Amino acid sequence: MRFRAAPVALGLAIAAFASSVTAQVDYADAWWAPDSGRSFPAQADYTDSTGTLRVLLTGGPMETKGHPFFAAIGPSGRACVTCHQPADAMSLSAATARARWDATAGKDPLFAAYDGSNCPSLPQADRASHSLLLDHGLIRIQRPWPPKDPAGKAMTPDFTLEVVRDPTKCNAAKGSISVYRRPRPVANLKYLLAVGFYHDPKQGMPLPLDPETGKPLSGNLMADGRASTLNAQMMDASSTHLALLKNMEAADMARIVDFESRVYTAQQSDKDGGALNADGAEGGAEKLAVSKPGQLGSIGKPVWSEFEAWEKPVPGMSPAKAAFRASVARGAKIFRDKTFLITDSAGINSPVGFGNPVRNGCAFCHNMSQMGNDVAPGQVDLGTTNQPFADPMPWLPLFRVTCKGPPHPHYGRVILTYDPGYALTTGRCADVGKITLQSLRGLSARAPYFSNGLAKDIRGIIDFYERRYNIGYTEQEKQDLVNLMSAL
Amino acid sequence: MKTLVALLAMATVTGASAPETVRFIACPIYRDADNGKKSGCWLADDPASGRRFDVSQAPSKPDWNHEVLVEGRVSVETGDPCGGVVLEPVRTSILPGDCTRHMLPAETYKGRRFVLPKRNVAPMSAERPVPPGPYVPTTFHLFYDFDRDFLIYQYDDYLLDQAATWIRAAKPRSIVVTGRAATDPVMVSGRSIAENPGIARARADRIAESLVRLGVDRRIITVRAEGKATPIDVDTADGLAEPSRRRVDILVRP
Repeated sequence: MRFRAAPVALGLAIAAFASSVTAQVDYADAWWAPDSGRSFPAQADYTDSTGTLRVLLTGGPMETKGHPFFAAIGPSGRACVTCHQPADAMSLSAATARARWDATAGKDPLFAAYDGSNCPSLPQADRASHSLLLDHGLIRIQRPWPPKDPAGKAMTPDFTLEVVRDPTKCNAAKGSISVYRRPRPVANLKYLLAVGFYHDPKQGMPLPLDPETGKPLSGNLMADGRASTLNAQMMDASSTHLALLKNMEAADMARIVDFESRVYTAQQSDKDGGALNADGAEGGAEKLAVSKPGQLGSIGKPVWSEFEAWEKPVPGMSPAKAAFRASVARGAKIFRDKTFLITDSAGINSPVGFGNPVRNGCAFCHNMSQMGNDVAPGQVDLGTTNQPFADPMPWLPLFRVTCKGPPHPHYGRVILTYDPGYALTTGRCADVGKITLQSLRGLSARAPYFSNGLAKDIRGIIDFYERRYNIGYTEQEKQDLVNLMSAL
Repeated sequence: MKTLVALLAMATVTGASAPETVRFIACPIYRDADNGKKSGCWLADDPASGRRFDVSQAPSKPDWNHEVLVEGRVSVETGDPCGGVVLEPVRTSILPGDCTRHMLPAETYKGRRFVLPKRNVAPMSAERPVPPGPYVPTTFHLFYDFDRDFLIYQYDDYLLDQAATWIRAAKPRSIVVTGRAATDPVMVSGRSIAENPGIARARADRIAESLVRLGVDRRIITVRAEGKATPIDVDTADGLAEPSRRRVDILVRP
């Protein structure tokens, strides 16, 4: 993977910081180590699996020396950037983790025993003790059990939790459980924080309010929704992933929020299709930086209509480029318009009232213009963590959930799950396996996919949905969707 | 104009009988009309008569794994897009009882292309016009599926948004939120059903919290709960007497 920071023609809206872009510099290694003291450029392009990812920092470049996102502020030697790498769309790919293991013989702080290994009790020098991170891009997440409310008070869940299988040997202790999840991209956050409607149809209530600002919360941060604001997320992450023993300073959190609010990532060019914002298309990161977040695609700008201009061929284009662009345009239409029966998916088929089943398409949930996350809080059980829908993942712990009150609307009283997800935050068995939908940008730079890395590549995402909902995609439709998603 | 009164008056003037209403419990049948998003048909057979009804226009749809309580009025409109007597308005409440899931193909039925319901809540970015006064004591109502405290999407959320907009303009001194439940047993399809007495309180508590989230001062809200609710005849109940018993009343005193 290679990195270059280069001056390019930027749109008028980001001209304010375009002038400060540094001259082209090549780096042999895109890895961003803590305390490296580098300047974060206003624009950086990284080669990824299908082309080039662009990372923008609105407002101009930023010196990272001493910046709390980039500084190893805890004893582990890690910083936020350790697991939120620019070259990986501000997430962390399994390939990058493997490269770091190989480059450092496993000594990088990324492999900290607490959560960069399968379990702190395992021999840390062994590669096998870090297999979940190296092979699946998974970080250990230790959640309290029984769950605690935001004030730290123990809740009384309406289900019991038993460990069926514990391959990592990290679920023997009482008082907590360990699940394993992919780091989420810290970019394009204005979309994840945007609120489109007062009402949350999945909860049958208006959105909860931020106790600090009194404003409605988007509900789209973190896989299990355990933190609703960037400050809350930082407090959670600093005390766990960074092993910080005291709370972060308010000034440091403000600096991190400022940085995170200015970072945008998207695929910028494709090795076959060329620039993703060429010939009328509106792909790429610049459009994200200047667009209004929180818009519902069904009543405004349709999701992935960025590629509408490519529905018509441009004369004189090379066959390979023309074919890719046509495929992306078809993929966008398939994403929006091809419908299938969605069944037994809590958060969709219950308790909202859409019915079980309901006929709809990808954009039913991935409905926000520009980003493809959910305008409403996106806690949905797609079956990625619950049996029988989840693929066998013998490397993950398996839990048996038994509902004490009413049975789960789709699974009954007993559920086998690799990750209870949102239920670890709410304590409700109806929420077992619900995972917050995430943005779909920069996918080519951050495999594998889904919260537990179930899909090793983009095709794996499509194949999972095909199995889960018996959609009946043709091979061409699958490839069109792969091409679309690689171009986001 | 109240819906029930209007329907009865119309029947008197025309000499026709009042529109037929039905109430029964059945396992729902899904017909995959495959006519675009949300185009599926929901059908239910009244076990007493054997008649098949089209209940697709209920604001909250059935789950093919569970029984539903159907409450509706036979529509005056002609047409048979799904393969059943059309009920409109209609409510379907999912019950705990299990069903064998059953799906029919489209056959000759085209279902209905999805149309956004008239009661859909506007985005936050949409300006809410200030409701005209006078701001006198006013009661708003929210209606529920059987034994549920969950606000029905594209129905109750709209009604709550309307109420909250009015409340913001009226700047009330006090608000009384009264949850009501149909707790007295009645026979439906040969079985006795009644709502859980605790559901009235649960409904009221959730609405009180909802109002707070919409900007109402918690200190002016009083929460009450009552069982054995009686029907009300207001436009937003669509003339369906039994579902109107399952409600929350928001009494706003400016």
